[in-house]
Amino acid sequence: MRRRSGESILIGEDIEIRIIHIGPSRIKIGITAPKSIAVNLKEVKLVREENLAAAQVRSVAAFRGMLERLIDGPEGDGI
Amino acid sequence: MDTNQTTVLQRCETRYFGQVEYDEASVLAFPDGIPAFEQYRRFLPLRQPINAPLVFLQSLSNPDVCFVTLPALAACPRYRLSIAREDLDALELETCRQPVMGSEVLCLTILSVEKNAPPTANLLAPIVVNLHTQCARQVIQVDSAYSHRENLPIRMAACL
Repeated sequence: MRRRSGESILIGEDIEIRIIHIGPSRIKIGITAPKSIAVNLKEVKLVREENLAAAQVRSVAAFRGMLERLIDGPEGDGI
Repeated sequence: MDTNQTTVLQRCETRYFGQVEYDEASVLAFPDGIPAFEQYRRFLPLRQPINAPLVFLQSLSNPDVCFVTLPALAACPRYRLSIAREDLDALELETCRQPVMGSEVLCLTILSVEKNAPPTANLLAPIVVNLHTQCARQVIQVDSAYSHRENLPIRMAACL
């Protein structure tokens, strides 16, 4: 499927994806969809899943070995 | 009646350290919660010498919810922020430049461990705290090249 700036793609009856602007490294798209459909960046899903996984850590012991081997950050890193 | 100047210590249950005392002034406010944990708006940063430089972000409403985090510069010494305008705005920071880590914002990366694998840090979406207001937000930096599962900078010699 190839589209130019200003052209659209329809998904089903209710969802329209319009190519608004094409730049050198990014494009601007407009999405029209029913309110019942969540429109999010994929990164939002990745971060949600990663947060759920992070909250499952059972004990702090898993990090102890890592801490000793961690390369020291520069001074003043807000610790 | 206590005045604002008085430090009143409160107690809370924690996931890893039993009951701890804390000062209300140290509480971080997440007005939008944290993705997948939107209902929890108040977290306590816990630091302990034995676990330095780890910072534990303990929910004050649910003792079971605690994130293990590392300051971004400890997780990645050359870390650079690329916070979007709307996120800077939500954190009440200047929108024309990136804030300075350490003096203006505290920047923490959430760690996670997969079975039998070394811990990774979420450098894509750090927790950014406005140090003047204690307002915090997990910021998804879509313009950055960092991953949500970055390896940590481990000393090579120690790995041999």
